[in-house]
Amino acid sequence: MFVLSKADVPRFLAHLAGRYELYGPVLHPESGDTFFDRAADPSAVRLDAPIPTNTPKFTVFPHFERILSYKYDQTTKDVRIIPEELVRPKALVGLRSCDLKGLLCFDRFFLGQEFVDEFYRAHRRKMFLVANTCATPFPQCFCVCTDSGPYAAEGYDVNLTDLGDAYLFETGSDAGRAAAGELGLPAAGPEASRRRDAVVDRSIALFEPRAVENKAWISRAVNRLTTGFVKNETWEYIGQQCFECGACSFVCPSCSCFNIEDVNRVNGTTDRIRTWDSCSFEGYARMAGEHNPRRPVEDRRNKRFFCKLSYSQSKKYLRPGCVGCGRCVRVCPGDIGMANVVTAIRREITGK
Amino acid sequence: MSYLTGVCNFCGTGCGHVLNVEAGAIRGVFPSSAHPVSRGRLCGRGWHIHELLNTEERISRPLLRKNGVLSAVSWDEALDFAAARLAGYSGREIGFWASPRSSNEDVYALVRLARAAFRSPNISVLSDVWYRSTAGILREGTGRPGAPGMIADIRPADFILIVGTDLTRQNPIIASDVHFAARAGANVVTLSTRVTQIAKLSGTHLQNKPGTKKIVLAALAKVLSAGQAEGFEAFRKSLEDLRLEDVETLTGLSLATIRDVAGRLAAASRAVVIFSTGITGLNRETTALLFNLFLASGKLGREGCSLIPVTGVANLAGANDMGAAPDFLPGWRPVADESAAAAFARCWGSEIAAGRGRSVDELLADASSGLKALVVCDHDPEIAMAAERIRSLEFVLYLGSYLNPFMDAAHAVLPTASYAETDGTYTNTERRIQLNRKKIEPRFEARPAWKVFADLASRRGPAWPYRSSADIQDEIAQMIPAYGQATYPNLEARFGGLQWPADAAHPQGRPRLGGNPEDPRPRFVAVGGGFGPAASTADFPFRLMAGKSYYYWHLNNAMKKTFIPRREYNALLLLYPQGLVEIHPEDAAALGLRDKRPVRVVSARGMMVPQTRVTSEVPRGTVYAPYFVGAMVPDFLLPHADAVEYGEDAVIPVRLEKV
Repeated sequence: MFVLSKADVPRFLAHLAGRYELYGPVLHPESGDTFFDRAADPSAVRLDAPIPTNTPKFTVFPHFERILSYKYDQTTKDVRIIPEELVRPKALVGLRSCDLKGLLCFDRFFLGQEFVDEFYRAHRRKMFLVANTCATPFPQCFCVCTDSGPYAAEGYDVNLTDLGDAYLFETGSDAGRAAAGELGLPAAGPEASRRRDAVVDRSIALFEPRAVENKAWISRAVNRLTTGFVKNETWEYIGQQCFECGACSFVCPSCSCFNIEDVNRVNGTTDRIRTWDSCSFEGYARMAGEHNPRRPVEDRRNKRFFCKLSYSQSKKYLRPGCVGCGRCVRVCPGDIGMANVVTAIRREITGK
Repeated sequence: MSYLTGVCNFCGTGCGHVLNVEAGAIRGVFPSSAHPVSRGRLCGRGWHIHELLNTEERISRPLLRKNGVLSAVSWDEALDFAAARLAGYSGREIGFWASPRSSNEDVYALVRLARAAFRSPNISVLSDVWYRSTAGILREGTGRPGAPGMIADIRPADFILIVGTDLTRQNPIIASDVHFAARAGANVVTLSTRVTQIAKLSGTHLQNKPGTKKIVLAALAKVLSAGQAEGFEAFRKSLEDLRLEDVETLTGLSLATIRDVAGRLAAASRAVVIFSTGITGLNRETTALLFNLFLASGKLGREGCSLIPVTGVANLAGANDMGAAPDFLPGWRPVADESAAAAFARCWGSEIAAGRGRSVDELLADASSGLKALVVCDHDPEIAMAAERIRSLEFVLYLGSYLNPFMDAAHAVLPTASYAETDGTYTNTERRIQLNRKKIEPRFEARPAWKVFADLASRRGPAWPYRSSADIQDEIAQMIPAYGQATYPNLEARFGGLQWPADAAHPQGRPRLGGNPEDPRPRFVAVGGGFGPAASTADFPFRLMAGKSYYYWHLNNAMKKTFIPRREYNALLLLYPQGLVEIHPEDAAALGLRDKRPVRVVSARGMMVPQTRVTSEVPRGTVYAPYFVGAMVPDFLLPHADAVEYGEDAVIPVRLEKV
């Protein structure tokens, strides 16, 4: 453990910017929105910014990405694959613990199973991750219920915790330790981890009562979802409010569904594009011969909640798919974010 | 920074979005959490606008038809040719069709091109039948042709009435606000024949018989039987034809229900009324009745109370404000107003065609109108409506960003920048003027539309002085008092824009109209009587209603250039390749019709063979046809243009035959 004085933060960011493309929370001047964004100017990174509207997942799984480009010659019947540009190494600074947990789910999904996704790996292998302990939760946050915050115990190169006068600089990898050495950071004193724990405890105490109350209910929901005990009427009630926009998937740090399209370009080449997709769409699960195992909206809705909370899916991620960031609550036109779904399941159990 | 804020260009809600720009291309879209209208939400269409902005199905170069084939030419050749061809006609022989998706600056420039450069008074906008009649009613009743209310009133409302339209499909983010209000305890009433999603989310669903919205609204107004404003006596008289004891037979709704809803509206302290002005909107009479009902309930101009006519396309309201109308100059100044005509002639430094023209729809419908040439901007449905007539014109110039069936009829095609490739202001359904900044350079050889209009004008007369769209907006601010403060610096300084009237007296704009001593006194709008039952006969026992579907948006020219919405549309199309009509299970059983099987739908004037969708979302005796297959329009709906003009309330008597 090291200490990074606040005056040294720009030096740390400059150090990273010299080696990586720098990404972090950036405040939009006109709207006040926070976006996790590329920061050409390291001073634009705001470690104290509110939770970003988007998740950092676009850095490893872009919203709209060309994964292959080829040219087909009509006369010679030759297909020429056009080499892609090399992916530039990225440093993600100011990652919230929830978003970091989302990346860990992604690692399991894209790398940890039978097939390895090369495109994901190309982004992921050259990364430097700097997490930032959340000193204050935001309304709708519930990471305390899903074992994903406000402090990240693993998965980072460096974790920062604001101790007031300075940042505690914890290293979680060789690259992190090397950075501490190159920056010449002083080691933290013996009281540092106690002070960090105090910051985390204070943060946990600031969560809204609903988030804390839901803690036990989320494990009940996991149980009910896994065993298939959620009543159909509950899913219908939730499905009726679904506007089928896909927003919950697009803002979710652990939603990894995608779609592939080949696009013939005006210049004669063809691009293979990968874009984000969502299981809330009817066409997503449609198969040949008109068969669709998930046609009614409620069947599509509940699929997503199975993915986020069922035990069988959690086994694949080695943690719950839901990381408790609360973004689905904020973007949902139908007011059926994760918290309200858990509430609906709770009502089903308690009858009130 | 690679995430840049802007305004969604699909429907008229005016949601704030943030586009992800990577290496000069739009690579993603997110909602803006801080935006005053959308507050962090987007709909299923809005979440995929980046796919449209990335499409390769763009008009990439200027094209001229040579030996029957559109061939790529230089900009200069195309402009010289188009200007010369248009110069060969008198203004009365040319029609100009503005797009409700274009920015205010582009529409204003088109109006100048029409009225000043080519001396043509024939200019109109898509959907003008519906929006213009609504705006006209509001102008008559409140003195101002815009929504007397605002979207922000929805969430805190205690009573909400939605007339027709499946708001969750047409303007989903406005519907979302209604849903949040309902969850917070608001009393939400939806008047619609079909069981739509918004009807399901409403506490009260008034399921009227098809074609009887006008009667229901008249009954609501009649039982209120109140009103202080001018014109009330005449309005009350016009309701005399309606006998309250007939209401239940006519509409299927009991008088007790009508009294209950009227009572709740009257008692509400924060009441909001929402209706559609799009192609599935209400006809003039019904809209006028709805306005009168709102006025009679004493809500007009009151704090927390709003009447919101929702627009289906991004700048439908703004395009009308900019004077894309045969009978109005910019700022809704009647063409008969000589001082207005003189002011524009002075401003534009030339004579203008100040007379009353005809809308393009009228010119196309009238075979003897003398229309010979057409200038069309970024239009989708119209080609289906009048394809033959348009093909028979001597010269058609099409301007747009995306490949479009209109090009088949065009002699010249000019590529214009998409909304993300140029600066522009857009006016949403609640008079909110927002600046959308350019994010990327125009793709391929596209140019901003206003620049193309300027280049055409300079080939016809003196060059225009505009160096940028900001210059045009400055002129709009100078010529249209309500837009007086809506200059780029002011709009830039205020995230979310300004609601007009934004003039010297109200530099911050006015979220609410009416209720101020300076406002014109509201008055009841004249309506005709006639509250007969909707037609259905022994020969044609079913009543057919037409409407839209979620992913099939404006004949789908935009949606089918995306990935996900196109797939969703195709999923529907694969199930129902011939289109569908919805029918109640009991009716289906009686006629021996089965789900997805073809059914012959016969009316007095048309016939189509779509497939059956058996659902209890429609009541017995009713057939609902979402028109999402192109052929349904010319084969069936066009012969019924007079009925379709009734919009949401249109009813076509049909019979169903098993195939």
